Amino acid sequence: MAERVFITGMGLITAIGDNVMENLRSLRLQQAGIGYTRHIDTIHKEVLPVAEVRHSTEQLAVMAGVPVLGYTRTTLLGLIAMKEALQSAGLTEADMPGTGLVNASTVGGMCDTEKVYYDIIDPNKHGEFLDYIDTLDCADCTQRIADTVGIGAHIATISTACSSSANALMYGARLIKHGMLDTAICGGTEALTRFTINGFNSLKNIDKAHCKPFDQHRNGLNLGEGAAYLVLESESQVKRRGAVVLAELSGYCNANEAFHPTAPSPEGDGAYAAMKNALAMSGRSVDEVQYINVHGTATLNNDASEGKALLRLFGDKVPMFSSTKPFTGHTLAAAGAIEAIFSVLAIREQVVFPNLNFSEKMEEAGVTPETRLLEQYPVTNVISNSFGFGGNNASLVISKYE
Amino acid sequence: MEELKQKLKQQIIEALNLQDTKPEDIDDNAALFGDGLGLDSIDSLELMVLLERQYGIKVEDPREGRKILASVQSMAEFIQSKQTA
Amino acid sequence: MSNNRCYIQGSAAISAQPTFEGDFFSLPMIVTEANNLVAVEPDYKAFIPPNSLRRMSRLLKMGLTAALKAVQNSGQPSPDVIITGTGKGSLSDTEKFIRDIVEYQERALNPTPFIQSTYNSVNGLIALQQKSTGYNNTFVHRGFSFENALLDSMLQLAEGEVKRTLTGCFEEMTAEHFYIKSRIGFWKEADTGNAQLFDRNTPGSISGEGSTFFMLGDERTENTEACIKGMKMLYKPSAEALERGLKDFLDKHDVGIGDIDLVISGRNGDANTDHYYRILFSANCPATPEVPFKQLCGEHDTAGAFAVWLAAQILKQQQLPVSLQAFVANPPKAFRRILIYNHFIGEQHTFFLLEHV
Repeated sequence: MAERVFITGMGLITAIGDNVMENLRSLRLQQAGIGYTRHIDTIHKEVLPVAEVRHSTEQLAVMAGVPVLGYTRTTLLGLIAMKEALQSAGLTEADMPGTGLVNASTVGGMCDTEKVYYDIIDPNKHGEFLDYIDTLDCADCTQRIADTVGIGAHIATISTACSSSANALMYGARLIKHGMLDTAICGGTEALTRFTINGFNSLKNIDKAHCKPFDQHRNGLNLGEGAAYLVLESESQVKRRGAVVLAELSGYCNANEAFHPTAPSPEGDGAYAAMKNALAMSGRSVDEVQYINVHGTATLNNDASEGKALLRLFGDKVPMFSSTKPFTGHTLAAAGAIEAIFSVLAIREQVVFPNLNFSEKMEEAGVTPETRLLEQYPVTNVISNSFGFGGNNASLVISKYE
Repeated sequence: MEELKQKLKQQIIEALNLQDTKPEDIDDNAALFGDGLGLDSIDSLELMVLLERQYGIKVEDPREGRKILASVQSMAEFIQSKQTA
Repeated sequence: MSNNRCYIQGSAAISAQPTFEGDFFSLPMIVTEANNLVAVEPDYKAFIPPNSLRRMSRLLKMGLTAALKAVQNSGQPSPDVIITGTGKGSLSDTEKFIRDIVEYQERALNPTPFIQSTYNSVNGLIALQQKSTGYNNTFVHRGFSFENALLDSMLQLAEGEVKRTLTGCFEEMTAEHFYIKSRIGFWKEADTGNAQLFDRNTPGSISGEGSTFFMLGDERTENTEACIKGMKMLYKPSAEALERGLKDFLDKHDVGIGDIDLVISGRNGDANTDHYYRILFSANCPATPEVPFKQLCGEHDTAGAFAVWLAAQILKQQQLPVSLQAFVANPPKAFRRILIYNHFIGEQHTFFLLEHV
């Protein structure tokens, strides 16, 4: 492959902050974003904790600079992250027609349509809710975001459950490497919904307390919401534009487990293959990885499986690793991009983020995540993992720009 | 107990859509999961839904669930223990 | 997409026509009086073990079966990668879970519809059945769902590490979703049916559904049906951008209008959006025979894949199916190259170019 792919901009919004700086500050202060929902009408609202973006949908519309009607919370979260990403990369309106967008979402505009679904299917009901009638699918948010900022060269939406935005980054990188795009903005957006809260609850994998990744007493995940986008550019475009490179997307791999519709394989086959092949593509060896931002959802199965994969790949020299999901919750389709940004921050700030709520090693796989905030830690290569339903495993390697 | 087990078998067949299975095909003590009926972890969640919807019994801990759902016999015993409790 | 080799080594289509089983080429079109074309579903038991079948909803069965049949028809081993597109995924599962949440007041919910509503659930099943542990991706972008899946596949074949990709799409229509879309003018108001689709010049179209899969490879095999030369997507193009897009596309593949023996067009009888086809064809290829395809499969997010399947069959058989013959007064002597132009609700526009092998 001819072109290297660089990260030149990033933007995000999560329960721990409205932008990159706020997220970084919360990570450093070890302030988690987990609490109880204020915006979702559910019987679980005082039982199942979530990591909700604190603003109301109306406030998000003001922040995004668009009218609220017709824009779902998913779109608004995405737009806020997108605008920060564009600003951070120094991209202007004039750059947009030549720019592509690869977005990701798992339930699209469900957050708003589920509130009015029974009105939508009732022929006797009419009203403003009709503005949301075609916002349920995953393409609605992508197109609204693209149309608002003027992106025109390529457009795609990916939905592979919890690995969606990691796959969006991969596809964007592929389009750049083949010379189809010079600039691809990739990431995902996800709003909390009653649909997903009940969905994961029906799978009995939501913890009623703060999630405890990689802990023996872990008992499930906490759902979160947010959006994150990274600006990917080809090396030649970076030179043309004189863009500032934040990091390099040096390797990636998507591998399927072909094991079970929702559960990972006990030995972590997919996780192992994804990490190993992503690392091979990056040309880095296992001892050149200083930090792994693990998927670490804190479900019984994921962490056991991922832990085994770490041991298989790294033996007794497992690098520093942590799950940042105790901060942001599991943001499903947005998680891969949010954690890719945390990986860039780990390199730029030379910091390893702590895995909160850990106290005892799992008996299935004896690995210990980093529980302290490590400053001035030399990080040059990070693996970021995102695994999902359908056996979909994705790993990214993000490297210091040299 | 016999009546309960018969009813359970019928309910299991319906809930899991075991089209070619009849109640008499299911042995009281045969393993529902793995080699027995060949059910998997999603079926186990569906059986917990069955217990809750049909018998009003909530199984919170999936680890506990595995023991309860081992066979028709163990399910019936669990239901009875809850009902007499 | 440059001139890389991408051969259709095998395919399968479940649609409203006898495309999966039966002699599609010699049978007349299956007609409907209503404004929705319903897929002819095969006997799934021949493809999926009963223990797997019992939990699957309709779209999962349709998608998985078309995928397995495409592999079978190719005569090739399991694919290295699996890439699909779907605009809406399993609508019946999504609707069921929304209803269950209300009906059971968020208590004691069955997880199956939630799991199956996940857009990549079909992919997971295909991978399981095929023991395919490679790259696996699902695109969910309306009229660019299958198209991005195809592009991703072609790029991976071009990279050389992948020999075979299983690439396809699946879509279903439910009564509820049909009603939802009728509220925003997707369908014709009067019962029109597919036989009169192009006669009314009224707004809206008729709905469709189905699943189409291709085994794509970088080598021409015995079963190979056709070669996909290229594809180009244009998002909400202006009339000028569309025109320029077509010229660039043909130039890039070193093909002139005279080299195109047949145009397959996505016109769907919608008075609001059919002008794209009319204007583009009359300005660029007025003399080239043109056949529409949505009277066969109905309008849906991934209808473009049906057109690709149709083009491949025409190139392979070197004739038009009976159901399409009335559209072409003077059929070409040979079908060497077919251009497809399709758009979805005027937003996602795509050109495909297929070649005889």
